[in-house]
Order: sequence, then C-alpha cells, then structure tokens
Amino acid sequence: MEVLQYSLRRLVAGIPLLLGVTFISFLLMVYFGPDQTYQLLGKNPTAEQIAEIRAELGYDQPFLVRYADYLREVATLDFGNSNSTGELVTDLLARTIPVSLMLILPGFLLGNLLALLLALLAAHYRSRWPDKGIMAFSVVGMSISYLIVIIAFQVIFSSSSGLGWFPVRGWNVHSLAEYLEYVTVPTLATVFVALGYNTRFYRSVIVEELNRDHVRTARAFGVPPAKLLYRNVLKNCLIPIITRVVFTIPLIVISGALLVETYFGIPGVGKVTFDAITTGDQPVLKAVVGLTAVLFVLAQLVVDVLYRAVDPRVSLS
Amino acid sequence: MSAEPILSVRDLVVEFRTEHGVVRAVDRVSFDVFPNETVGLVGESGCGKTVTGLAILGLIPSPPGRIASGSIRLAGRELVGLPESELRQLRGRDMAMVFQEPMTALNPVFTVGNQMMDILRRYKGLSRSQARAAAIELLAKVGIPAPAQRIDEYPHQLSGGMRQRVVIAMALSCDPKLIVADEPTTALDVTTQAQVLEQIVRLQQEFRMAMVLVTHDLGVVAETCQRALVMYCGRVAEQADIGPLFAHPRHPYTAGLLRSLPRVGEAEKQDLAVIPGMVPDLLDLPAGCRFAERCPRRDARCDGELPDLDGDAASPARVACFHPL
Amino acid sequence: MSVAATRRQSLWSKAAWKLRRDRFGMLGLAVVLAYFVAAVGVWLGLWATGWGDVAGGKWDSVSSEHWFGTNLIGQDIFQRSIYSISTAFEIGLIVAVLSTLLGAVLGAMAGFFSGRATDEFVVWLMGVLDSIPFYLLVAAIAFALEGNPWSMHVAMISTFWITTARLVRGEVIKLKGLEFVEAAHAIGVPEYTIIFRHILPNTFHILLVQSTITFVAAIKSEVILSFLGLGVKDGMSWGLMISESTFEVLAGFFNNFLAASVLMFGLVMAFSIFSDALQDALDPRQVS
Repeated sequence: MEVLQYSLRRLVAGIPLLLGVTFISFLLMVYFGPDQTYQLLGKNPTAEQIAEIRAELGYDQPFLVRYADYLREVATLDFGNSNSTGELVTDLLARTIPVSLMLILPGFLLGNLLALLLALLAAHYRSRWPDKGIMAFSVVGMSISYLIVIIAFQVIFSSSSGLGWFPVRGWNVHSLAEYLEYVTVPTLATVFVALGYNTRFYRSVIVEELNRDHVRTARAFGVPPAKLLYRNVLKNCLIPIITRVVFTIPLIVISGALLVETYFGIPGVGKVTFDAITTGDQPVLKAVVGLTAVLFVLAQLVVDVLYRAVDPRVSLS
Repeated sequence: MSAEPILSVRDLVVEFRTEHGVVRAVDRVSFDVFPNETVGLVGESGCGKTVTGLAILGLIPSPPGRIASGSIRLAGRELVGLPESELRQLRGRDMAMVFQEPMTALNPVFTVGNQMMDILRRYKGLSRSQARAAAIELLAKVGIPAPAQRIDEYPHQLSGGMRQRVVIAMALSCDPKLIVADEPTTALDVTTQAQVLEQIVRLQQEFRMAMVLVTHDLGVVAETCQRALVMYCGRVAEQADIGPLFAHPRHPYTAGLLRSLPRVGEAEKQDLAVIPGMVPDLLDLPAGCRFAERCPRRDARCDGELPDLDGDAASPARVACFHPL
Repeated sequence: MSVAATRRQSLWSKAAWKLRRDRFGMLGLAVVLAYFVAAVGVWLGLWATGWGDVAGGKWDSVSSEHWFGTNLIGQDIFQRSIYSISTAFEIGLIVAVLSTLLGAVLGAMAGFFSGRATDEFVVWLMGVLDSIPFYLLVAAIAFALEGNPWSMHVAMISTFWITTARLVRGEVIKLKGLEFVEAAHAIGVPEYTIIFRHILPNTFHILLVQSTITFVAAIKSEVILSFLGLGVKDGMSWGLMISESTFEVLAGFFNNFLAASVLMFGLVMAFSIFSDALQDALDPRQVS
C-alpha cells in the first residue's frame, strides 16, 4: 500500500519531465521542422489541395492547440499513420519493439554482468596486475567507437574476408537457432563496448565502498576477503549500480539499437527511428519521443522503489 | 601483575611509503600488556599511537605501509610475518579492535543482529538461534536497553553511543585475549563519552581482558588505565603506572602535556600553558631527540643523540630522556 | 628543493608535480600534442591540402605516393586522415569549451540557489534533455536549424553540458556551506560576485577534467553522427571516412576504414589516458 502511494506520487512528480520532453521535442521537430505540405502532395497541387492538407496536418492551428493534440496522442497511444509506409504507427512499434529488445537485451545484460564480475576482480586485486590489465582493457574498450567495433566485428565474423560464420545483415528469425545466428555479432559488439565503460564505473563504485569504515570493521573482525566483497560490499554498491543499469535501459534500447539495427539492417525500433529521421516521418518520430519520455519517468519510479528495497536508510515518505 | 604478558611488542618499526619518501610512523616501540590490565597509548595526532594499534591487529594498509621490523607476540605467538590467512583467524577471536567512528563503523544495509551473529557463527559455530540468543545477551551486557528489539534494527536507527556499544559487544563476543580500542569515545558527546567509558571499565574488569586504549585525552587515560605509554613522534617518551605518571612525570613532554590541561577551580585567570613550537615533520627528523626543539631542558647532547628508554622491558617505569625531571 | 619546501603546495602545483611523474599520462599528453600540431598544420594550410583531389586510381594500395592508398574515387587516404584530425580538434575544442562553460555557469547557479526556482528549473532542464535520445535530439536540432552546419555542434553542446553542470552543482552546494562564503555575504559582496569570483574558481579542477572527457565524447559522437548523415557536412572527418568505408570493407578493401579507425583510436585513447592521469593528479584524496 505504501509502495503504491509512493509510486503514484512519483508518477505525478514525473509529469513536469514528461511535459518538458514532449514540449522540447515537439518544438524542435514539428514546429520548427520541415513543412510537410508539399511532401505529401503530388506535382502541381491546387490551392484547395494545399489548404486541405494543411488543415489535416494542423498547420493552421495555434501552437498550444497543436501541442495539446500531441499530448493527447501520447496519452491515447494514437499517433496516426506513418508518412512513409502508411502503416499505423502503433502497429509499427508493436512489431519492431520486440525485435529491438531481443536484439539489444542479451548484449546489455551480459555487458553489465561481465563488467560487474571484472570490476569485482579488479577491486579484489587492486593496484596489482589483474587490476591494471582489466583497467587497460576497459580504457581500450572506451576508446574505440561503437561503430568501429560493429564494422570490425561484421568483417571479422560475418564477411567473406573474415570467418564468415554469421550472416552479414538482416533478421530472418523463426527459431532459436536462427535467433542465435543473427544476434551473436551485434551482441558481441555491444558487450565489447559496454565492458569498457561499465567496468570502470563499477570498479570505482566498489573501490569507494571498500574504503569505507564498515569494511575496516569487518576486516578487523576477520571476515575473509572474498566474502567481504560479495556479502559486505556488493549490497552497499547496489544503489549506484541500480541507478546506472535502469537509466541506461531506455538509452540502450533506442540509441544503441539505432546504430546496430541501421548497420545490420535489422527491423527494430532503432532502424524505424532512423528511417523516420531521414525521411522526416513525423508521426513515427513523435511516437518514439513520447514513448521514450514515458519510459524515463517509469525508470525513475522503478529506481526509487528499488532503492527502498535495497537500502534501509531510504524512506518512502 | 602476573607473570606472562599477553601482548609483547619489541622494537616495532612501521614504515609508510609516500611520494616524498619513506616515513617511519612507529620507530622502535616496545611494551608489554599483562592480562587483566588496561594500558594507555597517549599522544597527540600523528605520534604513531593509532598505527601501533593497527599493527597489532595486522591492519596496516599494505600498499603504502608495512611492518618493517620488530616483534609482536600475542600469548607467546609471533604475529609479525604471519601469513594473512592465519592472522585473519585471530582477528575478532583472539584479539579485537574498536575504532573511533561509531557512526560509520557498522554496515548500514544489514541489521545489527546480522552483523553480530556473523562473527558468532563464524568463530563459535553456533546455529542461528543460538547466535541470536548470545547476541541479545551481549547487547544487554554492554548496557543497551531492550536488546531483543534492537537486534533487528539497522545501525542508522541507533545513536552514536549505542552504535559504539554494539561494536564493543562485537569485540567481546568471542572472549578475546586482547582488545585494542582506538579513541573509542572521542567522536561521542561528553555525557555519552562518560557512560561508554564507564561501561568499558566495567567490562574489562568483568571479562578480565587485557586492553590497549589509544587516546589523545589524558583524562580518559586517568579514568581507565592502570599504566600508560606517552608517545611522541613515533617513539615512546615515557611509560609508567598511572599514579606516578600523573603525579611525577619524568619526561618534559609528559610534564608539558599535564601542565596544559586546564584545571577546575584554579584561583586566578591564567593563559593556558602550551608547549611552544610544533611537532617535527616525519620526513625531516632531527638527528637527536625529537622533542629537543621544544624542550626547556635541551642541551648539546640532546641535539646530537637520540635517547632510548632506560631500564629494560621488565622495569615498571621507563623514560627516554637525557635529563629527566 | 628541500623536502620541507615542497610540502607547502597548492592543489595545482601539487597536481602538476604528480602529473609529471605519471609516465602514461605524460605519454598520452605527448601524443595529443603531436595530433594537435598536425591539426594546426592543416589549419595553416601546411599539409593535407589535397584531401579532396582525385589523384589516383580506385583503391590503390599503399605506395610512396599515397601513403595509405586511395579510396573508391581515387582520393588520397593519408591526406584525408590528416585533414580529419583538424576536424576532430575543431569539433572537440568548440564543444568542450562551450559545454564546459555552459555547464559551469548553470551548475553554479543551480547549486548556489539550490532548492529554489533557479535550481528546480536547471535540474528539470537537465532531466528533460537527458531523456531525449541523443540521435533524435541531433536530428531535431538539425531540422530546426534547417541544415545549418553548426547544428551538430549545437546538439552536442546541448547535451554535454549536463554532466559538467551536475558535478559543479554538487560541488557548489558543498562549497556554499563553507565559512568563506558566509564571510563574503557578511561583508556585503553581491551574490553573483560570490558565485563567479569566489566559488566557481574552486571548481576549476572539476571543469578541467570534465572538459577533457567532453572533448573525447565529442570526437566519438561525431563518428556515429557522420555515419548517420547527421554530422559533418563540408570537409572531411573520420566519421565520414568510416561511413565511406562501410561498403568498401565488405569488398575487402580496408585501408580507408583502418586509417580512420586507428588514427581516431590513437587520439581518443591518448586523451583518455591523459584525462585519467589529470584526474588522479587533481584528486585531493589518494584512493588507489
């Protein structure tokens, strides 16, 4: 009950954020964006046709009305049809979001888990060779652009110049085997890059916790070093870890997927977004932005509730 | 004072590597602690008293610091050079340490009981319910009211004084031969300080433990210790039984410290006496006596030669000075 | 210098001393400076002027005339790579300097007036901008500015200021509770003077480190943005080279891709190492 009340309060507190995101996106993309009147008409449009289209697109309405319309669309999840394919936007998203999730989630989860393990190792041996090695590896991982890794892995694993074990592009998935075929190279690329950033972050969080007084107390009472890390320290580190993991999910699903999907030609939300950007397909863009904003507010809520579960000092009031 | 010391420190040297060179935080310190007595390690910040305490437990942070030489014997067993895995078995069981900051000493995400029971189950092999009962009993012993409720609470729900008592209870849980308490009450307010100190004295008598109490506060020493060592710049300046130490200090530093204590009921308004000058930089130590610069009894010999403690390990009162009072 | 004399050091002189002893950090700095010299040379027109010229055949391999070979149209890859260094520095410097400035000012104001309207507004703004997916924002700004070549820079600055601002805000909140601020208030120093002349200078170590991180982030972002067509429009950059090379690598020609990737990796890694060393040197606590 307490959790429910708290959640409602946090959701309400998230409204300014929602409004802000939708407002700015709307302002930039739709209001200042390209005038789509002529795109949607054929050659030599008559004045009537122009006026008709403009009314349909709502260009003759004042700003606030158009913005309110947009908010209504977000609330009802009714974004109309895509300008390029004519498909209902909601259908489009329903089709592509699962693909993106299937594509990106394995890499994301593996990336974080492995990074955590490596960070624990590095912290355990800090200042000695394993630590330096892991940190050097993560600086390298951070310094190579995601794009370069994607291209390189495609060449190495999929192309004819390389190993040719995996398909170069596309997403022809109807079975688990096919899924593994198509998801492996993108996942490898994602994990490689994620390891760089995440390992460093987790290591610094863990080391900071290891330097706290309560760890000194535990050591003074003979707690063995391995147990020290896993029991005494890990739970304490959960707050920054949770924050990071939960907040990178929306980013990963939209932005990370965008690059991978565009490059490998995988029909997910990212590719759809990118296509919408290049063709100026506003209904789709509006939908993506609106959904991302909602995701962020939800993420904030999830994080806050999880904090409470993990750290008894955090109160829900 | 019975025959065999429970703790025997001989010529302990602890070094720290800094960017500017190697520093000797503890420079050939020797002392004994006998069962059922409290020995105070007194001195100002930086004199090496805390490092000495940490060295006994083997808790010197090892990249910058190390025990360079010397011997530390606990109940006859040599601790210096002991591999970490064996030292670890002793910590919390044969010897325990209580630290200065009660507010941060306990893990905030586990209950008090959880942390206490961990030690009891690990060293005494008790079952969960046995450990819980033992923990409740210990909490009662250190004077925490309603221990059966407190045991399930988190550290942030307890006051500083109570947290310190919990740590003390943890230290006592396995009947250690020796407890090192590093400024256990410094971070507490004056009233709580008095209560906790009283508790410590009572517990020491009840459990008949040996205790090393590290502090900068001479008042605390007077209340709790039978003997004390006065440290200065990594070395022992003087050691004696409490009464004689306070009544007839022999080292000019000790005398200076005692003189600088404000006394209740002094007739005239006077300036507080201070020891002139400052503690020398550990990276730039003089060749002779380290207190010479600030000492009213200084002469050429003091500048040239470093005085050692007179007498031997068995002497009750020792002083490291060429011109003791 | 005697040991006693070296100890009375300010944060900066101590940091410089520590930094000089960090061999990897110094190496990183040297590499960055070498790149910088290359960039300056391009700006002055000293070299890589022929990056756009069609000088050779399709996919020539490495030769004494074309050190890295040529691309699909026959342009010299080496010259293009070097020219791209100047683009990288231009983007990196502009974005790093401006976003650090913006972040410092907004962060300081938010921190100083923490809890009040200014702070609420800045924090809200940070949350909003953080929530918009970066590529969407770049696209949106490109739309709004109608294809202006600076739209990429504007987009980057609009997101990169946030981390700096957060750090500055946190630090200012800590600093404003200190006594020297109280004292300044007491003698009637106006608030904005306190913020900008007294408090903000105490955050310079944060600003310095963050600006190096932003520089690196800008260069890396440019690569992806140019690949997506949202980045550099005139001129040449590593992103554009890699974007060109995507078709080439599948046909087996790697020079273009490797040249751009390796050069970019070199600069980014060197700068990252230097940035780490800088951060360690400026860190008042010694945590290893």
